[in-house]
Amino acid sequence: MARIELSNIQKKWGAFWGVRDVNIDIADEEFIVFLGPSGCGKTTTMRMIAGLENPSEGEIRMDGEVMNDIDARDRDVAMVFQGYALYPNMSIYENIRFPLRMRGVPKAEQDAAVRRAAELVELTDYLDRKPGALSGGQRQRAALARAIVRQPQVFLMDEPLSNLDAKLRQAMRVQIKHIQRELKITTVYVTHDQIEAMTLADRIVIMQSGAIQQIGTPDEIYNDPANTFVASFIGAPPMNLIEGRLSGGTFEAPGIRVEGLPGAHDGQVTLGVRPEDCRVTAEGAHLGGDVYGVEPTGDVTYLTLKVGESLVEVKADRAYRAALGQGESVRFDPDRIYLFETGSGQRLR
Amino acid sequence: MSNSPLSGAGMAQAVPARPAPRSFKRRSKRLKAALPYLLVAPAVIYLLMITLYPGVYAIIQSFHEVKFGPWKPVGFANYQKLFGDYQFWGALWNTLVMGSIALVLQCVIALALAFHAYRDPWVKGWRIIFLVPMLFMPSAVAFIFKLVFLDGRIFSDILIRIGLIDANLAIQSSTWMSRALLILADVWQWTPFLFIIFVAALQGQDEEVEEAARLDGASWPAIFFNISLPMMKPVIAVALILRAIDITTMFTNVFIVTKGGPAFGTETISYFIYRTGFKFFNFGYASAASVIMLILTIVIAQMVVKRAFVSARS
Repeated sequence: MARIELSNIQKKWGAFWGVRDVNIDIADEEFIVFLGPSGCGKTTTMRMIAGLENPSEGEIRMDGEVMNDIDARDRDVAMVFQGYALYPNMSIYENIRFPLRMRGVPKAEQDAAVRRAAELVELTDYLDRKPGALSGGQRQRAALARAIVRQPQVFLMDEPLSNLDAKLRQAMRVQIKHIQRELKITTVYVTHDQIEAMTLADRIVIMQSGAIQQIGTPDEIYNDPANTFVASFIGAPPMNLIEGRLSGGTFEAPGIRVEGLPGAHDGQVTLGVRPEDCRVTAEGAHLGGDVYGVEPTGDVTYLTLKVGESLVEVKADRAYRAALGQGESVRFDPDRIYLFETGSGQRLR
Repeated sequence: MSNSPLSGAGMAQAVPARPAPRSFKRRSKRLKAALPYLLVAPAVIYLLMITLYPGVYAIIQSFHEVKFGPWKPVGFANYQKLFGDYQFWGALWNTLVMGSIALVLQCVIALALAFHAYRDPWVKGWRIIFLVPMLFMPSAVAFIFKLVFLDGRIFSDILIRIGLIDANLAIQSSTWMSRALLILADVWQWTPFLFIIFVAALQGQDEEVEEAARLDGASWPAIFFNISLPMMKPVIAVALILRAIDITTMFTNVFIVTKGGPAFGTETISYFIYRTGFKFFNFGYASAASVIMLILTIVIAQMVVKRAFVSARS
């Protein structure tokens, strides 16, 4: 229901840059995820959209209207906090009703809206309880209901699932995505969990040290990383990054030789290849090393090879087993090899 | 002994054979059991001496007629007399009126100030400034108020110069003005106490909850009444009990500023007890009044504690 534009947003605390040069155009009804390690500025950026923090420079616009000087309570933005931030002295019903009461929604409509929101998050049976009497997942859903009850212009979610256990997190992920699609509300979601980002987002914004590294759809981010930071942040286990020399289209490093690469970047480069794009085979092998570790997980076996001084991870067949120290060779999918500049980490194309 | 840890270790090694450490162990076991009692003993003995002993003494005394000579047992006569004594009831009424007005005023002022100050970057400075009135000796505060409002007429003088009044305020001849003066003195000195407690409570409040309320559209007053105040209930209750007990025994200001006047209009129970005991030397009667006051304080405190904590827990 709203388009959000951030232009040249900066946030400084004294000499410390929290956020620098952030430019994002978030489309109406889009589900956008800010992804990055802690301290990368993703939460600060979200808090500036909420109005809980003021940008040092730059403009925040919603539907074209500049929001910088508009108070948080007048922005029509709803937020789900990491710690849920439910009002401990009120019942769940009162918690969900609070935003309606504060915005002067007629009493007659309040009850219906609260019950609709509670139904959407399956919390109807717990309306009389206080937050203290609910489990983490239920509290999380109550916070969600409180955010959706007044149908805001924008949803902001600050690591809403990080306090839940893995199983519940997956269930809630599906639920959040479903509710967002149903309500068609522009959503900004902050997380450090790449799986959450990949599964939820229409577009992902990857941040590091206050700056945006790449903006793109999950597919673009995964298939076409802009630099080594993005490449290693997305994907589990992360992309193998191997330093070596490129000359005349041939990459060489101890134990590794890859031919047929674009020849324009002769010199010191970093070669990136994802574990899932490696195949254990002697035929046309690019790499030879000794088995360092074998980790069967059931549906796939992770194989770690010691190649020269570095370790290279390979996703092998689920039936794959090998003895430690055994020699093994691996072939990379030639279409899925990435080259990065060694110093800056920027992608070479 | 500059390097005592080293010399200690050296001595332990110098001790021959085993018996020494064993006896040390045995002693330490007994000491270990006794240590907690030893540590609290001074405080307990001190408390017993200054509260339990005089308390029991007063209760026993309250059933006697005590006037310099030997104690004469009179049963409940002192209490009977007390219930018919209009001066006692007057003192009780004065204590209640001045106490509750002072209490409400300082609580409201302290809450308002605390809510304005607790997210202020200068809050530490505010706390120190607010601490100052509490650091004055109560009798000094009383004398300041006496000087400003009564003997020194500073307050009247200022009002005259501004042109608000023509003649000196006759505070001492007006019951309500005298009461107001005592209330003002108490509020001035003890609002900071509540302020500091309330600021601490508010600072302990989850900041995310506050931010959630702001995004939910709550104004600052709405946040205060809907979220902060309910959360602070137990803290407010405890602080008010402490103050209420203190105010019930209000004595210093009465003694120095008004001497209970005009016409007993500001006489508190404490002052009544003092007058009965140390001016008329009617110790048994004074003790009986003290016992009643003690019972009253306990009952009030119990009621407040129960209410505040039950509602906060459920």
